[in-house]
Amino acid sequence: MSTPAISIRNLTKVFPIPFKRERVTAVHDLSLTVEPGQVYGLLGPNGSGKSTTMKIVLGLVPASAGTTEIFGRDSSLVESREEVGFLPENPYFYKYLTGEETLRFFGKLCGLSGPKLRDRARDLLKLVGLENAADRRIGGYSKGMLQRIGLAQALIQEPRLLVLDEPTAGVDPAGSREIKDLILEFKSRGITILLCSHLLGQVQEICDRVGILHKGRLVREGKLHDLISVENQTQLILENASPELLARIEAEINCSGARLLEKAKPQTTLERYFLEVTQS
Amino acid sequence: MSASNPATLPIHPPHKAFSPARILAIGANTLLELVRLKVFYFLLIFGLVLIGSSIFMINFSFQEQFQMLKDISLGAMSIFTWLLAVLATAMLLPKDIEDRTLYTILAKPVPRFEYLIGKLLGVLALVLISTLVMAGLFAVVLYARQEIVIAESLAQAGREATPEQVQEIVRGIKASTFTWSLVPAIIAVYLKAALCASLTLLISTFASSWIFTIVTSVAVYFIGNIQSIARDYWLAENGGTALTKVFLALVSLLFPDLQLFNLVDDIVAGNAIATGIFLKTAGLGCVYVVVYLFLAYFVFAKKEL
Repeated sequence: MSTPAISIRNLTKVFPIPFKRERVTAVHDLSLTVEPGQVYGLLGPNGSGKSTTMKIVLGLVPASAGTTEIFGRDSSLVESREEVGFLPENPYFYKYLTGEETLRFFGKLCGLSGPKLRDRARDLLKLVGLENAADRRIGGYSKGMLQRIGLAQALIQEPRLLVLDEPTAGVDPAGSREIKDLILEFKSRGITILLCSHLLGQVQEICDRVGILHKGRLVREGKLHDLISVENQTQLILENASPELLARIEAEINCSGARLLEKAKPQTTLERYFLEVTQS
Repeated sequence: MSASNPATLPIHPPHKAFSPARILAIGANTLLELVRLKVFYFLLIFGLVLIGSSIFMINFSFQEQFQMLKDISLGAMSIFTWLLAVLATAMLLPKDIEDRTLYTILAKPVPRFEYLIGKLLGVLALVLISTLVMAGLFAVVLYARQEIVIAESLAQAGREATPEQVQEIVRGIKASTFTWSLVPAIIAVYLKAALCASLTLLISTFASSWIFTIVTSVAVYFIGNIQSIARDYWLAENGGTALTKVFLALVSLLFPDLQLFNLVDDIVAGNAIATGIFLKTAGLGCVYVVVYLFLAYFVFAKKEL
């Protein structure tokens, strides 16, 4: 069995409230595992403990109890972050740096240098579609461009795990689609992804497995398909079916004892429609 | 992009517990940030202060002129380097936290002490460049004033002056302008600013805002400058009881005696600075920088981001 990309066991985080005796439990006895190559969606309303969990996984905040590991290494150790790329929510990078300088800076922090770093930075700029903005200062980047340079910096040392906090927050539908496609591209390359997002439709499209946090507790966890499938219902989508065929099917259904719950024409998504209109 | 195939070697080298390259990257980036914020514009103000002061002192004797020019220049250097060190350092940490760039940096394999050292080195490099530029401007203005005074003195002596007399005049003037004691005074100015930068970094690790950091740092600066006077007064009034000595030792530990770094008065008075005293002052400055940096790490290592 391979080592899990992320292993969280009995994680608890308690924050003391300054000048008061009270304490807030942000995460309560959380245990979950993310397998290599998986796209895991960590969901939950605001204040449910998603960000705290992510920060503990990244070693930014110490746990009050429990353990977190990244590819078998204690995530509080600095060296465990060799394998991690992180994109925070609404990232701001140094505005005075250009896109390429930003990637080079983060690359140097990961021990890269020379032609290897230069080539890596250029490859990533191309991958995220920013090769034409490589020499522009980050201060002039749009929200979508910022998210894309954020993804590129997260990938600079070629990590095996990506932690993405609301990667499409505030981005327009076209930009959001591009970022989603990039995440799917990373997935196809075998990169494990831990994704926190409020955009449930997007999570549904991307994630293999989800965990739902509520008030610091993991209330549901499992394969996305298993969690949202309605076991006793079946969907048929027909193309070019004649009215006679439909009548026969309905009659057959009525004779069989099953119940036809809904008969409707499938609709495209608003996102797809918007993209068709704006990109044509 | 190459795939993250476990069978292939990672492109990054194995992690090192301590990496000068990472510190250098953070330091260089900090320096670049401050340079692109155009903080060097304040050097123009320093230049104007120098040129303005040299214009207004033409009615004094040349010894007085040089004394005043040194007094004003070294005093201005001391204030400008201190201001730059405190203001530049105070905003570094809060800005990185507010913009979440700190998360992105520390989510890379970067130990927190390397981040702090890099940030401080960036500020110290900026202060060093500023000190050198100010010292250069000071030297140019002092040289220009020296040449003017020589020309005026020779004109006053007239054509009757013998070559020996001319040489004597020139030697006398030059002896009053550039003296070796200016170098330790400028180094002391730099070390005082470095100490204040390190102290400001320490304050910013636990401060809730950069305004608090600046106000506290300024307060410590003033306490540091007057503490030797207060100490002498206190000892004269209350005698040297054990309790008084413990209290004063604590104050000295918490607040550096910045008067020790003020070598300007001796220079202006024409006194040479003993090598032993200078080395002691320089060593003390370095110790303070390291101690404050260590304390800053101690606080920052436990900080929940």
